[in-house]
Amino acid sequence: MPADTSITAPASIPVPTGRSALTEPGWVRALLIGGALLFLALFLLLPLVAVFAEALRRGFGAYWLALTEPDAVAAIELTLIVAAISVPANLLFGVAASWCVAKFDFRGKNLLITLIDLPFSVSPVISGLIYVLLFGMNGLFGSYLRDMGVQIIFAVPGLVLATIFVTFPFVARELIPLMQEQGSDEEEAALVLGASGWQTFWRVTVPNIKWGLLYGVLLCNARAMGEFGAVSVVSGHIRGETNTMPLHVEILYNEYNFVAAFAVASLLAMLALVTLVVKTALEWRFGDELAASRH
Amino acid sequence: MAIQVSGITKRFNEFTALDSVDLEVKSGELLALLGPSGSGKTTLLRIMAGLESPDGGGLLLNGEEALGLKPRDRQVGFVFQHYALFRHMTVFDNVAFGLKVRPRGERPGSAEIKRRVTELLELVQLSPFAGRYPAQLSGGQRQRVALARALAIEPKVLLLDEPFGALDAKVRKELRRWLRKLHDDIHITSVFVTHDQEEALELADRVVVMNQGRIEQIGTPAEVYDHPASAFVYEFLGQVNRFDCTVEGGIARVGDGALAIPAQGGVQGPAVAYVRPHDLGVTPASAGPARISGIHVVGPDARIDIDLAGLSLEAEMDRERLATLGIAAGDRCAIHIDRARVFAR
Repeated sequence: MPADTSITAPASIPVPTGRSALTEPGWVRALLIGGALLFLALFLLLPLVAVFAEALRRGFGAYWLALTEPDAVAAIELTLIVAAISVPANLLFGVAASWCVAKFDFRGKNLLITLIDLPFSVSPVISGLIYVLLFGMNGLFGSYLRDMGVQIIFAVPGLVLATIFVTFPFVARELIPLMQEQGSDEEEAALVLGASGWQTFWRVTVPNIKWGLLYGVLLCNARAMGEFGAVSVVSGHIRGETNTMPLHVEILYNEYNFVAAFAVASLLAMLALVTLVVKTALEWRFGDELAASRH
Repeated sequence: MAIQVSGITKRFNEFTALDSVDLEVKSGELLALLGPSGSGKTTLLRIMAGLESPDGGGLLLNGEEALGLKPRDRQVGFVFQHYALFRHMTVFDNVAFGLKVRPRGERPGSAEIKRRVTELLELVQLSPFAGRYPAQLSGGQRQRVALARALAIEPKVLLLDEPFGALDAKVRKELRRWLRKLHDDIHITSVFVTHDQEEALELADRVVVMNQGRIEQIGTPAEVYDHPASAFVYEFLGQVNRFDCTVEGGIARVGDGALAIPAQGGVQGPAVAYVRPHDLGVTPASAGPARISGIHVVGPDARIDIDLAGLSLEAEMDRERLATLGIAAGDRCAIHIDRARVFAR
């Protein structure tokens, strides 16, 4: 047995310092992050700050006056009404379409998926134009509607239709990959255990998709309130009647009433900020759920 | 409850999953549907549950026409390979689900539901986990919850789709034993699907060997192993040494006469002969016809690779026997066949 079995440590073992092979050197990281922040500052922050700066240029009194002016109030109300109809409608369509696509196989499934994505690829102006071509005075159903005394184009129904079309994909596109990834095992289990179709839907499917649903509704709402192109074509720009907030901003700006234009625009900007904050919060919460639900 | 399957056929586009399958499941038995991927065993199980509908044929559950019944009316319990637990519900709520969704008139009161669920959780030894979520459980625990959930509705039949496929080897063995004990206690008619022949032979009262949508053989584990009805069954159930050969005058000559295997059953002409590694005996012989090319010790067993007249054979024996033989890689040896089967090709 050797007298001394202890291991004497060398004076110091040089430990290799420095970055791992998987990260960029410090200066590259600084450059990339700095570049991204600069881009964001120029194209997002600056315009946002400019909106509020211009809106408050003549003080808070003028700002408030611009917002409480009857036409502006009508525009705000109309935006809210249009959103209040479009978003629930698209919620229903989106859930139904996602349910079909994700859980079933049927003929025409690919066609349905393509149709769902259609509003994204079509220019918003065209989206509005199709309704004018269908329901306008000289449109396909024009004379029929006139006889019935129903006004769609240049009235609220037209605005709602155009908004529904443009915001249609948001909920569906959010839910389809989510539901496909979750599969149908849980639903099948529920069916065999004795649940009816409705019970399966409410007790099993909906709780599993609730975060994706909220996320899709949020995006849908933001777009519904902010839509300009499609709504502009069908609106007729009748002050106090068929102007949503984005259209009202355009009118005010064209009259050189900059403070009022920016005042109304600032409301939309605030909506954008709120949407962003809630979206980030949901992403953070939803991301956890998604990670946990991947078993 | 007995199950009667008659002439069930199922096609998925061009692919025939089941080709006129007839099967009778006796009341109270534990039946295994065994076969490789694509043999149709899972499809047959799902048809029994009502999750798929066949293109032709009939199904009787307890003597009554069942194809027209929805899954919820068939009183079957189904256990999925990947558990299919409701991820947003606790273990307690998962097990109680089947009872809670019953129609008003049939639904037990919440005290009764609580009692039954607690009883079942004790049965599967998961009582302390009642408040946990599926994501917080291990694979084996999740499968036990899935089993408890299936049993909660007091089904007449239990259908299990590769129930232990997603678990690691040790947990698989434990749960196998546990399932067998459960079946012995409650005697519920059970059908389980597996591609693991060891599992089927260990657990089942009877084994149904399936291949490409057809049933190859039905029998007890001993029957299908000792008296396989076809080459497929023989090859599927356990390791084999396989030789293509020609039978003349009742003898199959393999490798230019190096091996002579008697062929039963009047087989003539082109054939395939099978010898199980356990039935291949090895004796050291310095002038023997065969040469040992390798010896692998795997746990308690030894596998010996042998070259004979250009053929590669594998023999298997336990390590003590290997030690007494005193052979090593490179030695020459003689082999003898204890048992073999010959099938027409």
